[in-house]
Formats: sequence, structure tokens, C-alpha cells
Amino acid sequence: MDPPIYYSTAEFIETDTGNKVSRRANISGPQNIILGGKTIIASGAIIRGDLKRAGPGHSVVISLGRYCLVSEGCIVRPPYKTYRGTFNYYPVKIGDHVHIGANTVVEAATIGNYVEIGKNCVIGKFTIIKDCARVADGTVVPPNTVVPALSSFAGSPGRFVGDLPESTQEVVEARTKQHYGRFQPMER
Amino acid sequence: MAPNVSYHCPCLSDSTVPPPPHHLSSSSSFHPLHELFFCEECDAIRCNTCVSVEVSGYYCPNCLFEVPSASVRAEKNRRVLPYLCARNCFLCPCCRNTLSVVPSDPPETDDGRTLPVSAVGEPPFFLYCNYCRWDSAEVDITFEKPTGLAGTCTAQLQKFEDSAPDSLEFERLKEHFEPFLLRAGATSSLNPTTSAHSHHHVNPVTAAASSALARDIPGVAKYTPAQSTSGRRSKGARDEMPEYKARVDASSSKGAGLGGEPDVEFMRRLETVSEVASLEQRWSSSWAVSLRLSDIKPLRMPLHSRKSKRCPSCRHILIKPEQKAQSVRYKIKLVAANYIPAITVSMPAVAERRATLNGQATASAAEASLIQAGRSYPFHLALTNPLYDPVQVRLQVQRQLPAGAPRGADDEGTEKARRPPFAVTLPNTAFPIAAFAEAWEYEDDEDMLDDDEFGPERGAREKDARKNKTVGVLERRANVTIVGGEVLIGKDARGELKFNMLVSYTYRSDDPLAEDDVKATPSRRNVPEMKTFSFCTIVSLGTIVPREESRSVNVDL
Ligand SMILES: [Zn+2]
Ligand SMILES: [Zn+2]
Ligand SMILES: [Zn+2]
Ligand SMILES: [Zn+2]
Repeated sequence: MDPPIYYSTAEFIETDTGNKVSRRANISGPQNIILGGKTIIASGAIIRGDLKRAGPGHSVVISLGRYCLVSEGCIVRPPYKTYRGTFNYYPVKIGDHVHIGANTVVEAATIGNYVEIGKNCVIGKFTIIKDCARVADGTVVPPNTVVPALSSFAGSPGRFVGDLPESTQEVVEARTKQHYGRFQPMER
Repeated sequence: MAPNVSYHCPCLSDSTVPPPPHHLSSSSSFHPLHELFFCEECDAIRCNTCVSVEVSGYYCPNCLFEVPSASVRAEKNRRVLPYLCARNCFLCPCCRNTLSVVPSDPPETDDGRTLPVSAVGEPPFFLYCNYCRWDSAEVDITFEKPTGLAGTCTAQLQKFEDSAPDSLEFERLKEHFEPFLLRAGATSSLNPTTSAHSHHHVNPVTAAASSALARDIPGVAKYTPAQSTSGRRSKGARDEMPEYKARVDASSSKGAGLGGEPDVEFMRRLETVSEVASLEQRWSSSWAVSLRLSDIKPLRMPLHSRKSKRCPSCRHILIKPEQKAQSVRYKIKLVAANYIPAITVSMPAVAERRATLNGQATASAAEASLIQAGRSYPFHLALTNPLYDPVQVRLQVQRQLPAGAPRGADDEGTEKARRPPFAVTLPNTAFPIAAFAEAWEYEDDEDMLDDDEFGPERGAREKDARKNKTVGVLERRANVTIVGGEVLIGKDARGELKFNMLVSYTYRSDDPLAEDDVKATPSRRNVPEMKTFSFCTIVSLGTIVPREESRSVNVDL
């Protein structure tokens, strides 16, 4: 029902698997980044695939599943820590049907499937977000936080504010698919 | 707010007709479709207000450890607080963030933001908040090892809780009342009919408590039920109650946080407000907590529960979660969205204005100010059929005046306010929605247009006319039918533009015979039974801008 969201064909690159990546997104270390397909990376997003564990060769630094959205101005950056005296980056794994709102900074370790993260959030280092969770706009999730499945988080520091309905999976799946469908090229 | 449709669950009143949109009770009677359940047995919509909820398991929201209900029950008997995580999970007493275990290494902050967790691992360890920087060393809670805090810290906290004056007082009260409770249990089990049927039966505990209260506090009348017979019967029990002596006299208490002199003294010597623990930091405990921030202890993590839900009238299970940790699957999940059509609403004129305003289709505050008094607006309702059979749908505006409401010749103002200041037109005939199929892959939406009702030429003409048509079926594709309606807003209208809408749909109720079956035995091709299900919705279109204001809005644009 919602009207299409038009994008300029000059700005976006569409891959074989239907990913749509803005040329105005800042993607470092693309060889270390995996996009699952039908995932949209909006303009101004910064994805730091270059921040990888010390050592030669490729390794997956950031992986995103299908039907994800990384909105305008988002930063996805691998978390780091010094363990036994050695500084290291750790990979970020993001599941399917995950929407991340505009200007949100993500340093999570894992984000499950069907997760909605609002705009202007900070998702602290090594955060674990389970399936079907939701993080409200403007939430600051401190490092090492665990967000359980089907729970809603909000505030600063981000805290549990309520349970989500049993049909969250279907609702989020429909919403992310619909968003991808609405994201249409504008022929010039 | 963006235009939306919510669904009625009639559980809050005896009437199946929902309250009018401007009534305060309206907002609690309507729910988003995806929050509703459906009982097949009762053929009725159920909501979170009316379903009965049972806990089917507990887990810690931080370490995600599953705590079996049986062990929660067992701990309840062991004076250990059962609904708290017994592992390494603690909350910051200042900000409720989850605490981390950190060693007491030199604070080698890389960029000044966080301590490197477990960098070298020098004991003692303490609990640290990486949000507000509170640490447990401030309240003398430290550990020799980073693991097994459950034992150490929980024991420390438990000891603190157990030695809290309130906790000791409560224990003392329990001991004091134990004999009476036992006797009460004995009485009611000996005499079950009396307690069940006599409304005025007084159990000995109530009687004793009432008597004690009357004795201790002058001016408080004894609780004496109307029937004098039951009063006489419990007389004996009442007299046996000895006087309770409190452990500590509240006025002379030595511990802080209990009121009295020490707290006054603390407040007198106060230098900064930050020395005082805020109400929020203190009120989650069931005992009185010290006023001093420096005394505030870390909180143990409360467990979360997984819930099963049942129909309130027939007790059938509507929701039954899987027992697997953090699973989002359900063994049973009867949600309304699988039974009744999903309806979304949009106002194309407003959406277009919005799109030209900010160039993006995101909902914005500007949208609300685009509906103006004294004009008419078309709106679209998109109905999606979740059933594997086609349905016929009929929409009706539900009249606002509540039946039987006192309608005296009172002041005209009330009468006027009760009448909606706008008129809604909906399609007045039933329309079809095609069946749901697993995969809808239609190359061309136009193929789906069903022109059965018209001849070929007429169908073509109809298609042209459709472009200009406002009220009626506008589009049919896959299992979605879009119909148009219109709202005419009065010149003096203001406030929320919303109305109640009754939706009735007719579907084939019996399992349709398989195709081959019908061919093999034509005699079995009987007319399928048609059933109609009705439900109420509220359609919110937005907020009306009164005339004077709308003029200025126009200027701004
Ligand atoms: Zn209900
Ligand atoms: Zn725990
Ligand atoms: Zn804190
Ligand atoms: Zn039922």
C-alpha cells in the first residue's frame, strides 16, 4: 500500500543477488564483507570491513543476511578489546531481516534475525541482540549487553521495557520484504 | 500519527458494539491486529487483556540461562529469593545497566571510554558499570576470582538482605502469626462448606489481626461483619492472640534508611545532593534501603518468564512457546492475523502532499497538519485475505450514538459534540478478496483484475472509470483488494479524524472437497456452507486542522 521509495540508478549498484549499495556509502575492506542478498546499504553509511583481526589473508569481518537495511549515516564497526595483552578486532554477524535506522552506530558482536534497531542509537561493543528484538530510536545500549529474543529495549542506558507480540517474526519479515519491494529505481 | 486501523476485542464490556471513538475507553478496547489471538473453539477474537497467562519457564535475560520452574518453586521454600538469577548477573544500583566483572589492574584506558576487560587479571575483582562507572569496591564487595560470583556475591547480598532490620522483623512477624495461620488452615479444611458459602465468614487470622489493630491503635474500629453469628464463633480465636512486640522500636532505630534520628543526622551533615540515593535506586527493594548512596548494593538480575496463553472462556491453548532457550517459535500459535483480513489505510492526497513536502515517504509531523476542516478527502483501505478460500467482505460505518444513552433535551453543545463532525462514505456492496496462496508471483498486476461481473467492453470502460472513482473497489491483486472511501469534514470540525467500522466477511466453512473427489462422485458436489464472521475496527485517519490554523499552514507551505 505504501508508495515506492525511488532511488537514482546512478547512485545505487545492484548486485546479482539483489543487494543495492549506494555509491555514496563508505565501504572499507569490501573483500571482508558479506551481504546475503536483497540488502540495502544507504548513502552515507560507513561499513568498516578493514578492521580485522591481525594476520594475513581474508577473513569475514562483517556479515549481513538477506533483506537487511543499513540506513543513511549508519556506522557498522567491528568491536575490539585487549585480551591477554593483545589488541584485537572481533567480527560482526548480522542475521536476516534486520533494519538499522539512520545515524545508528553498531559495534555489536551478533545481531539475530528479524531485529529492528531505531535511528540515532548506539549499540555498544560486543552487544548480543537475539531474534525478533527491537531497540527504540535513540537508545544507548552499553557494551556487553544481552538483548533477549522478543524483547523491546529503550532508554539510556538501554533497558528492557517490554515483551514483543508472538507474531513479531511475521510482522518484521513482511515489513522488511515490503521495504525492499518499495525501493525502486527512478529512471532518468 | 500515520493513518492506521485497530481491531476490537469485546472483552472489556458486555456489549459487542465498541465504544465510540471519542470515548476514553476506546483506546483500550482496540488493538493492532498482530497483537490479537483467535480461539477456533469460541470463534472469537481474544486479546492480551482477556487471555489467561501461565508461566511455562523462567530465564535470565542476561546470561540467558534457563531456570526450570521446578527449581524456582524449590528455592521459594529455601528462603532464597527465587525469581533472581543465581549466576554472575548483577545490575548497577545507579543506572540498572548490567555489571561486568573486572580485575583491579591499573586503569589503562585506551581512549578513556572503557576499562579493558580482563586484560591481565589481577585480583581482587569487582563489579563494574561500563555505563555510569559505579563499581562494587565502593561498597566493599570484591572477589578473589572472576568466576563463581554466584556463591560469593549472592551470599554476601543474601547475608545483607537477611540481616536487614525489615527482613528480621518480617521473620519475627511470620513466627508470631504461624500458629494462627495453621489454625486458619485447619478450620477452613475442616469446614470447607462454611467458608465457601458464607459470605460473612471471618477466619481467625482476620479476626485476630482486627482485634490487635483495634487494641494498638485507638480509634480504629474492629472489623465486625454484619452477621453476629460468625462474629461469635471467631471470638475465641481472637482472644488468644498475644500482643506482638516489634524487634526494633522505629523511633530509636540505629540503622539508616529507617527514618528516625540517624537519617536526620545524615541529612544534617549532607554536603552534596549526590550523597543521597534517589528514590528510583531505593524503591525496587522490598526492604527499606539506606539513604546513603555509598551503602547501595548491586541488584541481582530479575528473571524473565516465557508465557503460555489460554482462551478465557473455553481454556483452549492459544499460545504455547517452545521450551528451547531463546526460541521465537511456538508449538501452538493461534493469532488473529491468520483468521481475519488485515486492513491498512492510507490517504493518497495527504501522502502525495507529504511526499512533495520532504521528498521522502517517511512519516513526518507535517502529515498531521495536512487534513483540513471543511474539505473532503478520499482514503484507501487495503484488505488482505489470510484464508486459503476467497471471501466476500462488507464494510459499514458503525453509528456513534451509544444505544440507551440518556438523550434528554439537554444543552445543544453536548449533543453536538457527540455527533461526529464528519461524514464517512464506504462501498455499500460486498466485494471479493481472492484466496491466499503460498507464492504470489504475478508478472503483471493487471492480469489479476477480475472483471467477471461485467462484459468485456464494459470491463474496459470500468477500468477507465476506476481511475476517477473514489468510492468502491479500486484494485484487486493477489489476495489483496483495495477499496476507496471518502470522508467529508465539517467546517467547524477539529480533533481526531477516526470512526468505527464494522467488517463482515463470508467464507466457506467446511473443508472443500478435493478436485478429483468432486469429479469422481458428482453427487457429492453439494453447496458448501457459507459462514459470516463480523468484527469491529477503528480507522484513524489523522488530526483535523481547524480552519483558522489551516490557512496559516497553507502560507507556510
Ligand atoms: Zn480481550
Ligand atoms: Zn544470569
Ligand atoms: Zn551504572
Ligand atoms: Zn475459546
